[in-house]
Amino acid sequence: MDDYAIGVLTNIGLFSFVALSAYLLLIAGEMSFGQQAFFGVGAYAGGILTALYGWPLPVAAFAAMGLGALAQLLVALPTLRLRGLYFAMATLAAAEMARILFELLHWRRKVDGELAGPDGTQGFRGIRWIFEHGIEPLHYLGIVGVLLALVLALLLVVERSKLGATLRGVGEDPELAASVGVDVQRVKLAVAAAAGALAALGGVLYAHHNTYIEPRNFDIMLGVHSLAYALIGGLGTAFGPLLGVLLDIGVLESTRIFQGYRMIVFGGLVAVVLIYRPRGVLDERIVQWLRQRFS
Amino acid sequence: MLADFLQNTLDGLSAGASYALLALGFTLIFGVLRRANLSFGPSIMFGAYCATWAHVNFGASLLLLALITVSGAVLAGAYVERLCFAPHRGGSAIAAMVASFALWMQFEELATLVMPRHLYAFPMLYEGDPLSLGPLTLRVDTLAMLAAALAACALLWWTLYRTRFGLAVRALIEQPAAAALAGINVPWVFMRVFALASALGGIAGYLVVATHGQITPMLGMWATLKGLLAMMLGGLGSLPGAVIGGLALGLIEAHTQWYLGPQLRDLVAYLLLFVLLAARVPWMTTRSAS
Amino acid sequence: MAQAALFLIFFAAPLLAHAQSPQAELRCKATGEDFVYDCIITLSRGGRPLAGAEMAVAADMPTMPMAHNVRPARARPGAKPGEYKARLDLEMLGEWTIKLRLDSPVRDLLVLHYEFDSKGATPRKR
Repeated sequence: MDDYAIGVLTNIGLFSFVALSAYLLLIAGEMSFGQQAFFGVGAYAGGILTALYGWPLPVAAFAAMGLGALAQLLVALPTLRLRGLYFAMATLAAAEMARILFELLHWRRKVDGELAGPDGTQGFRGIRWIFEHGIEPLHYLGIVGVLLALVLALLLVVERSKLGATLRGVGEDPELAASVGVDVQRVKLAVAAAAGALAALGGVLYAHHNTYIEPRNFDIMLGVHSLAYALIGGLGTAFGPLLGVLLDIGVLESTRIFQGYRMIVFGGLVAVVLIYRPRGVLDERIVQWLRQRFS
Repeated sequence: MLADFLQNTLDGLSAGASYALLALGFTLIFGVLRRANLSFGPSIMFGAYCATWAHVNFGASLLLLALITVSGAVLAGAYVERLCFAPHRGGSAIAAMVASFALWMQFEELATLVMPRHLYAFPMLYEGDPLSLGPLTLRVDTLAMLAAALAACALLWWTLYRTRFGLAVRALIEQPAAAALAGINVPWVFMRVFALASALGGIAGYLVVATHGQITPMLGMWATLKGLLAMMLGGLGSLPGAVIGGLALGLIEAHTQWYLGPQLRDLVAYLLLFVLLAARVPWMTTRSAS
Repeated sequence: MAQAALFLIFFAAPLLAHAQSPQAELRCKATGEDFVYDCIITLSRGGRPLAGAEMAVAADMPTMPMAHNVRPARARPGAKPGEYKARLDLEMLGEWTIKLRLDSPVRDLLVLHYEFDSKGATPRKR
């Protein structure tokens, strides 16, 4: 497999984490414009831990996920009772605040005799754990793939379980769910923590793949794109967001058919598909139909 | 000290004037459709880029450029309305808003394709020296911008309170169910509201680009962010709130930038919005947001 | 004695690793085609030109980090030792993060920031 294909597949994998993070919140009934902030938290936290304090990547990744979950809870708690556009705007405000905080973050430390670490708008270079441990791009793609597969497996199990049904119930009709005894707030907070951890996992993997991150990487475009991928891929299954990412980055971008027009084509495609399938290609109806067909 | 405060207030009001127009556009659409149009900023950018293209290729006059900007914005707005909002009326708000974001991507790519440079010069409204009022400096084009914003608001007020169309719009905002029952042609009103909102946005966009003397593809994102922020600050769905929110945002930005610098300026604005939303301040959160 | 030697090795190794960190510079010229650039990359290590390197050149946009997949170009040796040529096919003008992936003599990833316009590339001070 050539370098280009490895790079594209890795990017697809990385983006899928953020798309899945947006997807989780969507099925809980909320639209978040801010998942890019938690992607960024994961990236910066993971990078700082490995590059400045020599932590091993797996441990740093766990810590980053924890921090991502915490950060998302920090945003979710004050906004629990907000719905619709109010909630979306609150997440947008929080994400932009996070990005500005990244611009103000200077955490410099001497490593091997040189100053390293995040330097505000100059970015954070030298996140080289992958290189220092001789991990080839293909191996890294494997790592990303395995982690994504694990996440998908977990989500699919949850979906088939009572927890999944509760989650979708809360998303569709919170009043009804509350009336049958569901603690809506607790469910929403749990989803928030999971979404934050997922986005952060993507972030730490991205930081190490790129070796360099800067605040601009975590701007609104990333967040709204992941939202779009989640919705167009379909809210019926965790494969939906993956489909959305694949459609844009995999098919349209890499096949170069629409070189230079890709966003025009993809944007139009999203708008048109949503007219006929407002919950995406793999929406609940078609997933139900597929399950009945193959069971 | 006082002179600085007054100068910042003046600058803040002039920036606030364009924010107010943007917020009015967003509010009109939100008030009537209960959805936020994420392509609002980009459709303004489309209009402004049409004008830039005309300027670069034909050297059009200031008035013609303004007309082109407004027409371009209205055209783009109609496209967005047909593709993103009309099909989802009564359906999924999220689908409509995400679709409007998808069209945002289209507008941005279109702009970079047709006008690939990152920055283009745009003819300025006024090239001469600013006026001096004692220790204060007032740019002439700032004055023009405030005057134009005021005129646009007056025109809007007249439309809403002195025409049948305006009556229908107000009815849809206040009592959507009753208005539909009373026989108002809802889709027709929606389309015209979109056109009105886009026109307001086009005026705001033209004013901003003509006072800064340059245009970049960031205009779309900028207009969307400022418009949404101002609309939310002033109270979602309220037209007078939109104006107040816009002016307030301008003032807050000007003063925080003076004392704390540009990064903290944005941070403070977002923090304020977040805190107000989290506190569920009643004037902000009374309207149902689908 | 052995301990001292061991200590020296552990102490010197990171210093050596640092001293061996390659540096790169990019000079690009726009070709007639849209957003295609002919670039000359100058690699050096420890102040001396680094010859015989295997390198691929990739690009990313800062604000949409994973979405623009510019096909990496393998660099060919250029006129002088330490110089390499590559043709970059970008998707649009603006600021790009150029990533040089070295495979030999040392595995590394260098990240550079350049602003691409209709004539060529200018380094962005970051």
